[in-house]
Amino acid sequence: MKDVFHIQIDRAEGSLQRLIGLIERRGFHIDGMSVSDAGTHREVRITVRERDAGRCTQVLGRQIDRIVGARRIASPPVAVRVEDVAPCPV
Amino acid sequence: MTAAAPMPKHPPDTAPKTGARLVVEALDNLGVEIVFGYPGGAIMPVYDAITSARFKHILVRHEQAAAFAADAYARVTGKPGVCMATSGPGATNLITGIANAMMDSVPLIAITGNVSSPLMGTDAFQEIDILGATLPMVKHSWIVRDPADIPAIFEDAFRIATSGRPGPVLIDLPKDVQVGLAAAPAPAPRASAPAQRIDPAQLRRAESAISSAQRPLLYIGGGVRIAGATDEVRAFAHHTHIPAVCTLQGLGVLPTDWPTALGMMGMHGTRAANEAVQACDLLIVLGARFDDRATGKLSTFAPHARVIHIDVDAAEIGKLRAADVAITADLKSAVAQLSPRPPEIDAWIADCAEAKRAHAFRYDAPGDGVYAPALLKELSERAGDKFVAACDVGQHQMWVAQHCSFSAPQAHLTSGGLGAMGYGLPAGMGAKLAQPDAHVVTISGDGSFIMNIQELATLRRYNIALKIVLLDNASLGLVRQWQELFFDRNFSEIDLSDNPDFAAVAQAFGIEAFRISRREEVGPGIERLLAAKGPCLAHVLIDAKENVWPLVPPGKSNSEMMHGEP
Repeated sequence: MKDVFHIQIDRAEGSLQRLIGLIERRGFHIDGMSVSDAGTHREVRITVRERDAGRCTQVLGRQIDRIVGARRIASPPVAVRVEDVAPCPV
Repeated sequence: MTAAAPMPKHPPDTAPKTGARLVVEALDNLGVEIVFGYPGGAIMPVYDAITSARFKHILVRHEQAAAFAADAYARVTGKPGVCMATSGPGATNLITGIANAMMDSVPLIAITGNVSSPLMGTDAFQEIDILGATLPMVKHSWIVRDPADIPAIFEDAFRIATSGRPGPVLIDLPKDVQVGLAAAPAPAPRASAPAQRIDPAQLRRAESAISSAQRPLLYIGGGVRIAGATDEVRAFAHHTHIPAVCTLQGLGVLPTDWPTALGMMGMHGTRAANEAVQACDLLIVLGARFDDRATGKLSTFAPHARVIHIDVDAAEIGKLRAADVAITADLKSAVAQLSPRPPEIDAWIADCAEAKRAHAFRYDAPGDGVYAPALLKELSERAGDKFVAACDVGQHQMWVAQHCSFSAPQAHLTSGGLGAMGYGLPAGMGAKLAQPDAHVVTISGDGSFIMNIQELATLRRYNIALKIVLLDNASLGLVRQWQELFFDRNFSEIDLSDNPDFAAVAQAFGIEAFRISRREEVGPGIERLLAAKGPCLAHVLIDAKENVWPLVPPGKSNSEMMHGEP
């Protein structure tokens, strides 16, 4: 199952690398990505797909929230996959 | 993030200064007292400026030790630890320490020099992309491109490292930025981030679940120490009488002799703790993250339990185990606000107490050789409330967790998440500098100790009165134990019987040292160690075949504990 994250990131050195690295490290494939300049920041749309069962896009979203200088402006719908993935409860 | 109105006490200092000078002033202005580091080509301008710093610089003998020492300093003081190194190998040598701080949520400031900006990306001498290399293991990082940014970046770095869930940050300083001039007054203090609002409805749900539980259990993690919530958790445990287990990092939150404390859970946890987890109907998780060493086979972990999970880091909620009640908040505040009607659990408390009594550790090992668990128990009891253990990684680390008494979580320093051998000696150094009045004891094994043995020179140079217990079984004991139990006794590359004479090595560094090998030498040895005015090493020969018990085999349920005889 694919989900799309829409994220604003600061125009800071390493910020895109930081975001992409986190997504792959946490067990997701990146199936599509676009980056656009939005003045003081960049806007990134990333399509992700879990590498194996047990990965949860909601947890991934909260991990993205931890990145300094990154802000989600659209998240996967709340209902996504909660019922399908055991460790994705909240 | 909102900038507070500037309220300078003095007119802003706008005279141009070098970036290196601004680095030193930033560290001084942020209240740094000690920096652990090692100079080299790309950080020389900062070292040139450091001679007039108010903070003290500790010259270690390997950059990894700088990071570990700063890590332990931070754990003990609650303030960020600062380490510094040059570019290339200096920077890469910090990486293990940075990773260690990330895994255990330690506020660490790592400062690296780099080649000049025009050379970056050209494979210049001692150039490495340290920002890229450390991205997976920092909370945040910067390459400074303008010396005028230095004061603000350092202030941001300290704020980010310590706020929310702490962690390491890295500041990379190209050489041209260090020598460049800029007028950069100290930045206006930034307003703290507003406290997370705790959902009252979630608190009430948690209280209701606690009050109605038949077999509730506290699962205490390292987040309690980090949040400074030890007093609140103790008050809660006292108010509710709920039995408690802890993780490796949660040791000491409840004193070892707390009546309802069942000890550490997990792979080398106590039987009483693991049985309680498997039997409980409500798990109250405080600042813990369901680490695999604590949970064993996750699908069988606490099978009957509903879960209340309180953590400052929202990303830990539901990462591995569903939470029935999730509270993302500062633990100190959240636990203080939890005030449930105490559950009626007398039978459960009695069951837990009986399990604790029935499965208490024994210290009547046969023979006249030194029995390491008994030595460690006696060591911590003799050192008392001033005892601080800085562990290395291996069998001795688990024996410390099982057998030492801790009166506070800051008294147990261990590389929990990363499990980095070589942590113990530099960590002990950092802890002793942070808390000079404490009985700081590095407890190490012969495999771990030699990984940072060069820091004996640092102990000597600064006369850091660290005490060292080196448990020498002439092997990589924990690997040997696993090969014995899970690899058909196919012992592979674990023999260290050609170890040097560690006491002689320590003495060559100018450190007082002695060796013991018999049980009757333990008491006098501990006495000598604790009484030593300066650094002192006790080289303790132990049985190479001694194992750590109990043990949950890797990948198995915590209900499948293996036991051995002492």
